[in-house]
Amino acid sequence: MGAARYMEKDALPAWLEAVGKSRLVLAPRLQGKSTAFLPFDPSKGVSLKGLATASPKHALIPRHETLMEYQYTKTDQIPPRTGLEVRELIPDQPVLVFGARPCDARGFTVLDRVYDAGAKRDIYYCARRDKTVVATLACTEPADTCFCTRVGGGPDDATGSDIMVTELDQRYILEAVTPRGEAFLLEQQLPDASEFAAKAQACRDAVRAAMPEGESLLDAPDKVEALFNEMPFWDEIAAKCLSCGACSYLCPTCYCFNITDEPKGNKGVRVRSWDNCMSFQFTLEGSGHNPRATKSHRMRNRVGHKFCYYPTLHGGALSCVGCGRCIAHCPVSMDIRSIVSKALVYEKAPKEHTNV
Amino acid sequence: MSVLEGKELRIIGFLCNWCSYGGADTAGVGRFAQPTDLRIIKLPCTGRINPLFVVRAFLNGADGVLVSGCHPRDCHYTEGNFYARRRLEVLRALLPVMGIDPARFEYTWVSASEGQRWRTVVEKFTEQVHGLGPIPAFNSGTCLDACLSTAISSAPAHAAIGETHGLST
Amino acid sequence: MASRLEELKAAVRKALPDLDVVIAWAAGPNSLEHTPLFITSEAEIDLMTWDPRCSQNLAGYLPGLRGKKVGIVAKGCDARSITELLQEKLIDRGQLTIFGLHCQGAADPEKIRAVAGCGNEVESAEIADGKLTIVSRKGTCAIGLENGLLAKCFRCTGADAQPCDQFIGEHGAPPALTDAPETALDRLEAMGMEERFRFWEEQMSQCIRCYACRSACPLCVCQDHCAAQSREPHWVDQTDHPREKLMFQAMHALHTAGRCTECGECERACPVGLPIMTMKLALNRQIKTLFDYEAGIDPEKTPPLFQFRETEEHIKERKW
Repeated sequence: MGAARYMEKDALPAWLEAVGKSRLVLAPRLQGKSTAFLPFDPSKGVSLKGLATASPKHALIPRHETLMEYQYTKTDQIPPRTGLEVRELIPDQPVLVFGARPCDARGFTVLDRVYDAGAKRDIYYCARRDKTVVATLACTEPADTCFCTRVGGGPDDATGSDIMVTELDQRYILEAVTPRGEAFLLEQQLPDASEFAAKAQACRDAVRAAMPEGESLLDAPDKVEALFNEMPFWDEIAAKCLSCGACSYLCPTCYCFNITDEPKGNKGVRVRSWDNCMSFQFTLEGSGHNPRATKSHRMRNRVGHKFCYYPTLHGGALSCVGCGRCIAHCPVSMDIRSIVSKALVYEKAPKEHTNV
Repeated sequence: MSVLEGKELRIIGFLCNWCSYGGADTAGVGRFAQPTDLRIIKLPCTGRINPLFVVRAFLNGADGVLVSGCHPRDCHYTEGNFYARRRLEVLRALLPVMGIDPARFEYTWVSASEGQRWRTVVEKFTEQVHGLGPIPAFNSGTCLDACLSTAISSAPAHAAIGETHGLST
Repeated sequence: MASRLEELKAAVRKALPDLDVVIAWAAGPNSLEHTPLFITSEAEIDLMTWDPRCSQNLAGYLPGLRGKKVGIVAKGCDARSITELLQEKLIDRGQLTIFGLHCQGAADPEKIRAVAGCGNEVESAEIADGKLTIVSRKGTCAIGLENGLLAKCFRCTGADAQPCDQFIGEHGAPPALTDAPETALDRLEAMGMEERFRFWEEQMSQCIRCYACRSACPLCVCQDHCAAQSREPHWVDQTDHPREKLMFQAMHALHTAGRCTECGECERACPVGLPIMTMKLALNRQIKTLFDYEAGIDPEKTPPLFQFRETEEHIKERKW
């Protein structure tokens, strides 16, 4: 950890307001019955208890993003020709995400491997990522759906964060994790907290030590791959799934998108929006063929992606960060922990020999 | 720019081809003067009307929507308007719950010979809608993602388009 | 409750050999919610549970299983959904074996966590004698079951599953609940038009358009081919604007008009807690006024929007 600063807990709203003068500040706030990462509004405060209903991934991948605007025009030529004017809209706004949890921040690194991969940099994503500072609030109490420690994370995990914020008595201790975080902290008018760094670390260690035990899911990739053709397993798992999309949209690591042109007369916008692999349309092809026509195929894809295909492509890193939102908010209480646990011990029925 | 810009509201009319469109034609042939706010969409029958056409029109910014068809028992397709009557009565209960003043929507029966009646309907309905004023517009700033896209890069634009997203109400 | 569960298990055990699958509930991922269970073998029968945490409406799975012999465990509200599906001929009565139960109310985990003050760290929960006892990291607390039920339970029209093939346990009246929570519809009725519009604009800005409401609805059988996701016709676009999401809510409400049995699954499924039932409640009231009809009560009746009358008793033509 680099530079360390602190503030009294009740000074947080004023500090966020001050930062808000030069950056868009996204912090969790109560919104009706849920908690969401929204632009900080001094009159509405923040809500830092527990996990926000949806992840902060929309800071980097908005629910919809206008990639470009277009307009058809008539030229002055004779005969008149139709011209097309296009304007790209590249985001250009510094952002502070305050109050992400370690699982959320780890989720950003899952997105980074796909959208900011060496020679392949998604312009829109990187324009946001390069200007976003992530200040992660270390966790103090797990929810009964949390399982970050089973997938390589933890309540104190700094992966993906620029700044780690720890609650210590009546204060927040902010410690820089990356050069971006360091540069941001040094700009702030906050007192030095080097003397508290050790205590903050001890605090985080204690929370990690108190996490409930749970079987590691890091060995899942091979086991899940072995079940690829085992449709009875997936049929049983997916029987109760409703194919909605709550899990995908709340998930900090789901990153699939759709691109559509939305015309209005002679004008329109090209929009990138969240897509969701639990939907029938996700792989529906123009011919009408659908390689994932059933819920079983789609559930296999979801679990397979998070626990097998992504780690295989990215050096073993799972694409699930254990936040548990999919479990907490699934209308039929699907539990990805139990699905993967079952996969780890599944005994295939012995195959009968046939001559075919 | 239209001569009536700022004086006209946008009222959409869904008219059945046989009776009401004919009735509107009759009003035209008779040179009856009437307000020009109404923009007509012709359908074969009011039974073709999905109540969601009306909802979509309002959400897209229509200030008023009028549906007009054959009188019950006189439907060109026998029963289309019977279904329409039920559907549109049900729709009338949905609009106020959504915050769309129910007086912005009317459905009526005008036959092909009732040019005078058509003129009366259009006059009265247009007046009714003007009494309510333009329909409230969405504040696009509510959309979270708009906040995330507010600052646009200063990269050279091929041409400025004016409205953001090209979809303002 | 415990003995009723054993009776239920025995009934299922007896019927299972003649059925392709029995849909019931099993223990869920945490102590406040159970989860659907698809039983195809005798060993799975022991996983069954039955208590107020069995909130999911299992009727929604039936249209997808058409053609199979299906057993289903149903509460009063679930059976209304089954009746509506029968009315619309989306399922076949002859292929169904309904195990009917008397329901004392369905638990609302969010409400329980708020009322009991136990947060998200529930370790175990028990229900006995109308009380819900919760053990969490913060200690043990008990609340009256009536304080942790879904809002729809306050509008219960029948706690006993009707129709059914076998009724397990004693018949009873709907749970005696007072102090119905204020619904969004109540609040809207006190607002002016523009205020209502702004209310929806604000609510829909919270919506993430996950379609959980649609997917959980037992009557939404179009599912994979939903009009809201078609590009031709292009009813709603892909932008995240409240306009599109409000349009979808209007679509869902109008597509279920005269069909909705107020099972409440749409609202329960919403991950951000929006008042999804509101428009449907308003339309159901209108349907009752116009046609004296309630969905899912009589399997022989045709829904009102599937038919018409030459003269409508309650529809008055406007005078110009």
